Amino acid sequence: MVESTAIARPQRWDRPFGPDMTDIDVAEVLDQPLFRDIDPSQFPDSLPLRDIIRNDTRVRHFSRGDVIVREGDYGNSMFVIMRGRVRVITDGVDDAELGRRTRAKPRSWLQALRQLWANPRQPEVRDVTAYFSGTRNLDLRGEADDARTYLEDVDAFLSQHETVLLEDGAAFGEIAALARSTRTATAIAETDTQVIELRWQGLRDIRRRDAGFRGHIDGLYRERSLAQHLREAPLFAHLDDATINEIARHTSFETHGASEWFRDFRKVKGDDPTAVLGQEPVVAEQGHYLDGLIMIRSGFARISERLDQGQRTTGYAARNDVFGLEEIVQHWREDAPLTFRRSLRAIGSLDILRVPTTLVEQYVLPNVPAKLLPAATPARGEEAPAWLEQCTDLGLRQSLVDFFVDERTINGRATMLIDTDRCTACDECVRACAAAHDNNPRFKRHGPIHDGKQVTNACMHCADPVCLIGCPTGAIHRHESGAVVIDDATCIGCATCANACPYDNITMVEIRDSKGEFIVDQQSGQPIVKATKCDLCHEQLGGPACERACPHDALIRMDMHDHRGLADWVNRK
Amino acid sequence: MTTLAARRLRNGAVTLVALAVVAAAVYLQFLALRDTSFLTGWLLVIAFVVLAAYNLRKKLPFLPLARSASWMQLHLWLGLLTVALFFMHTGLRWPNGALETLLWLLFVGLLVTGVFGIAISRLAPRGLTDHGERILFERIPVFRAQLADEVEALATTSVQELGSGTIASFYSRRLQPFFARPRNVAHHLCGSGAPVHRLRRELRGLERYLSDRGREMLDEIESRVVAKDNLDYQYAWQGLLKGWLFAHIPLTYAAAVVAAVHVVVVYAFASAAP
Repeated sequence: MVESTAIARPQRWDRPFGPDMTDIDVAEVLDQPLFRDIDPSQFPDSLPLRDIIRNDTRVRHFSRGDVIVREGDYGNSMFVIMRGRVRVITDGVDDAELGRRTRAKPRSWLQALRQLWANPRQPEVRDVTAYFSGTRNLDLRGEADDARTYLEDVDAFLSQHETVLLEDGAAFGEIAALARSTRTATAIAETDTQVIELRWQGLRDIRRRDAGFRGHIDGLYRERSLAQHLREAPLFAHLDDATINEIARHTSFETHGASEWFRDFRKVKGDDPTAVLGQEPVVAEQGHYLDGLIMIRSGFARISERLDQGQRTTGYAARNDVFGLEEIVQHWREDAPLTFRRSLRAIGSLDILRVPTTLVEQYVLPNVPAKLLPAATPARGEEAPAWLEQCTDLGLRQSLVDFFVDERTINGRATMLIDTDRCTACDECVRACAAAHDNNPRFKRHGPIHDGKQVTNACMHCADPVCLIGCPTGAIHRHESGAVVIDDATCIGCATCANACPYDNITMVEIRDSKGEFIVDQQSGQPIVKATKCDLCHEQLGGPACERACPHDALIRMDMHDHRGLADWVNRK
Repeated sequence: MTTLAARRLRNGAVTLVALAVVAAAVYLQFLALRDTSFLTGWLLVIAFVVLAAYNLRKKLPFLPLARSASWMQLHLWLGLLTVALFFMHTGLRWPNGALETLLWLLFVGLLVTGVFGIAISRLAPRGLTDHGERILFERIPVFRAQLADEVEALATTSVQELGSGTIASFYSRRLQPFFARPRNVAHHLCGSGAPVHRLRRELRGLERYLSDRGREMLDEIESRVVAKDNLDYQYAWQGLLKGWLFAHIPLTYAAAVVAAVHVVVVYAFASAAP
């Protein structure tokens, strides 16, 4: 009999955020105004405050001119200034100012045509001279995780922008940390600065247990972001500022689930579906009183309904989706019972806003454009019969819905789906991709297949792009076109993004010069590596070359949030 | 999103209308006592250029020259229209000169390979999906070598572990040739699984001579035989899906050259040119 490999069970803090945190550092963090008043007795023995500080924070030193966070970067941590001065740029910074050389606009026709003869014959050829041109005021210092971009002439840069000064004790970056979303502003160290960086898991645990800390953080969120977030939601767009502020005052911000979906989903793949569902915290239960409209701020949720002794997945929800609107509208129109028709479960960690039902009925529904409201829904008890093989909510086969949710394909905003019942394996898509990327294909025509639909190994340009977390130089970022792209010039080859991608869609490659020789590090002689992935052909005319190259209409880049488009494509005949 | 059936209906209707217009134009020429072969000939040349331009589109995927699927639809339906045009041009008779015979044969070759290509492009993918894991064509030799190594190792181990040469002997006679290269390609293309069924029967026939451990080894070998059979299936059909273009595209180039010569010859010798 083959003996199993035995290891110690992985624990939450096997990899502390700051591995060098000392007792003195912990004491110093706890002495900061934001942490000073937290009552350690509120924390259980299994999760003491000191251990959270030791493992979920790190003390970082920035020199004058260092870019601490960039606008557009994906955030998973907040910062508290211990000493020093930080300038937050409030009027926006464009990519070029921060050293990214990503093209803002597609190529011209001539530039596109030039690829026909100018593409190199060797793989992964780079013109390294372009790496060091046009960045007179920027440079890199540090290595790997500690690498950072810095400004050589801080005064000149600051004089060109509107800024807000933050000093000792001030916190910033909490909005992105709370919602694991993009940074809304760039922050630069104006002097040598020491900051505490608190990752979102620690922020969540302290916020959950300490009312004072929660009040402070939520206050910052309410002050800086909540009203704006509501204003940007289509349902609330017609309301005036006073009403928005009134709603914001009564809206609660909640976090459900403790795990990170992108780390856990592979572990549970293939497990008993009932057990998997049992591990997903219930945010709203079918049949329970509907006290508020749920708006998803970040993360993913499974929508399910009771079927016999189990739960059937009937849909999924992601950032900016709302849950419970149909029921509220039906209550408002027909005085139907105010209970949830479906259950909502957090897949991993889910952040939601709960807007009280009374406020939705009082302010939102009377004047909201009719097109934003759901069509008249069938009365209770008159819904279409639940077919085991068909998910009526999405218009897809039930097994396909389960497949998409289980594989977390629902994260994709441009998922490459291939209809294997039409794909002849001609590889025109691969050739087109290579032609559009200097003869380097940026995806593998391979991946899990279910019911004749393949989820191909190509970057999905996710709604929750966890690959962006932790990039030390901001090389991987979301382009204004929506695609997640890597700026080759600022990528230092640390592989943080490739390791973070739950779908293995980022590849590290060794780069070469025009003669085909490997480009090596001056000091170590080791090849220079770069992260590569699908960039959705954002530089090309006409969009993704793969999709346009498929002769058999077998390949599509699908926004998995577009439920109707997905159903139309899957069911076309 | 337009359904595939609606698209088929629309494109079919457009083709029929185009065919009616062409037929009417040719008939009017005929009524006017003109030689219709110049009209149909030049229409054929234009159609041929458009059909062949699809290959050029494939070489320029980075230009916004419409989706390849749209080009494919144009290629299919214009191809059908071209068949009608061709027979309007030549009449339903065997050509009477060497050059014309060659051109006629090349065109018929293009038609046959084209119809064959579209037929298997529509029919084979579903079979590939249903048969087993879809394997990248280029990776098939790698997987085949891997399976061959595993089976060879099992056969070798069986001698050491069982002290018996039964499996090893069967391996050297039947399994080693089976794993050495793609097998039963014609059977797979005909939808027959007879050869692999026979091989598995022979394999199971060894059971009576083996211990429990030997039977476990047979199970492991059989699973690899099934995997190799799927590789052969994928090889046969994916090879065919790729291979037909090696007939269709050279025929296109040859027909283009001969058609050009045909046009020159026609004008050189036709005193009654319009």
